[in-house]
Amino acid sequence: MNFAPPNGTTYTLPATLRRRSDIVQKLTRLYTSWGYQQVDFPVLEHYDSTHPIAEQSFKLTDRDNDLLSLRSDFTTATARMVQVHYADFPHPLRLQYNGKLWQTVNPDIARTREFSQIGVELVGLSNAKADAELVYLAKESLREVGLTPRVEIGNPAFVATLFDLANIPSEDRTELADAIDRKAIQELQERLNRYTLAPDLYQALVQVIDLYGDTSTLEIASQRCPWPETQAIIERLKAIIAEFDDSSELLIDLGMARRQDYYTGFTFRAYTFDFGQPILGGGRYDGILLPEAAGFALGLERIMGAQSQVDDVFQTTIISTDDTKAAYLRRHGYSVERAVETDLGTLLERAKDRGIAFLVSKTGVEALSKVAKESQDLERLEQLLEQDLLEQE
Amino acid sequence: MSMEQAKLTIALPKGRIMDESIEVLRKAGLRLERSPDKRALIHYCEDANILEMRNSDVATYVELGVADVGIVGKDVLLESGRNVYEPVDLKFQACRMSLITVNGFDGKITRVASKYPNSTLRYLQEKRISADVIPLKGQVELACLTGLADAVVDIVQTGSTLKANDLVEVDVLFESSARFIVNRAALKLREKELRTIIEALRLEAVKQAV
Repeated sequence: MNFAPPNGTTYTLPATLRRRSDIVQKLTRLYTSWGYQQVDFPVLEHYDSTHPIAEQSFKLTDRDNDLLSLRSDFTTATARMVQVHYADFPHPLRLQYNGKLWQTVNPDIARTREFSQIGVELVGLSNAKADAELVYLAKESLREVGLTPRVEIGNPAFVATLFDLANIPSEDRTELADAIDRKAIQELQERLNRYTLAPDLYQALVQVIDLYGDTSTLEIASQRCPWPETQAIIERLKAIIAEFDDSSELLIDLGMARRQDYYTGFTFRAYTFDFGQPILGGGRYDGILLPEAAGFALGLERIMGAQSQVDDVFQTTIISTDDTKAAYLRRHGYSVERAVETDLGTLLERAKDRGIAFLVSKTGVEALSKVAKESQDLERLEQLLEQDLLEQE
Repeated sequence: MSMEQAKLTIALPKGRIMDESIEVLRKAGLRLERSPDKRALIHYCEDANILEMRNSDVATYVELGVADVGIVGKDVLLESGRNVYEPVDLKFQACRMSLITVNGFDGKITRVASKYPNSTLRYLQEKRISADVIPLKGQVELACLTGLADAVVDIVQTGSTLKANDLVEVDVLFESSARFIVNRAALKLREKELRTIIEALRLEAVKQAV
């Protein structure tokens, strides 16, 4: 019997889980303070071939042979919940969620097949103020977990609009958008050379791959792409940025041409220094999953990867042979194990092996390691137990 | 402290392409020098650290952000399927990916051997040829000569190996040359530094092409 979990999944041990719970707690608190209400979804979903992640979902069969799939995307799940439960509910809705997702990807250091996300959706609004609220929260999310944020904003509709203006045949657009998204200049030029394009549109399509950088990029874009249709997209992005007093943590990339199919409006990603993968992704999906909605999600495994190697906090682990003292310490918020060993020698040996910090007995508290002896916890525990004695007298 | 000040990490394939790569990066203004130690895997230089590796691993290091940038042939990059930016075609290491058979072969292609199984499979599907792909590690032309496969897909530079073994190119899948590739986060977080390098490399590539 092989007890190792399937490839791309993992057991979560206490030290990792403590860090993950800490992240979830901090972010949940942040979103709650902004009025986002927590919701949860079933892990089992009806299999639906039109689901954006359908191809990469794990499939299961129900007893009646109905095809089910494991949850693979929170945005789609939220949209479906809103349609079922909030159809006649006053909008806007601010919802937050966290939990696990499953996708049949090839696992590597950036991707696992089972992964955790936390995120928010802002439903029933579509304007620059709503967009800016999400960008702001994206930025604050990274800061909340100790990372320096850079949030990159774009809109795949910008490239799509250039395609419209240039009359690019629809069957060529996916590959062309893909070349732009990879900033593959050679491939892009080769493909564009197949068409007869007006020089200004040819230039705009080639140069769009270099339209990235700080927010002044929008001014350059505005000069190079003077068409009313592209101007409208630039203006909306400018309106989002205008909501910020300080836009130094914001970046632009108008060559962001391929995102999740459901995004119809602006999209964004967050990066942090010294980490090669985006930590957060989001955008506006008006008209696809819901009439008006936008949101984002963060990958918890990515956050943990980006946080510089945090040492696990020193744990005040206690084992006790005195039930009264143990009960007293538990009331004061300590986690106290009850000793089940009958002889003290075995008890001490096992406790030290397991890295337990303190032993509490009839005679008081005793530190079991050098770190524990030097920690402030020892003093605090001694004081607490003394106080208990005084109160009893 | 932000990591903006950290030294650039460059992934380069070992072999001749590494020397060519260092040369072109130097022309783009980076102070780089191979370590005198022949066995060195990491070359610590003035402006960057160079990681020396198999060409098929370059895109992996760059996509996952272990290296910020790298140089790799388009043939190898396509095969890897890795998601990176490729903002410069460096023009050197020019070659083409071709379908090759023994001279005079006119039968049906049912087995194709290649070091590039993904590109081969994509080509066969595009051309609606129903053939099996046999992944091999090297000297794939041998597969053709011995009958292990009816055809091979491999890179052709001058064509002299083909001529010597009485093999012919029957189709060209794509043209390839070296690409400067960049990690998606690095391009944005080290924007000014990398933009300068990209622009200089594009100028060098134009000179190379003339």
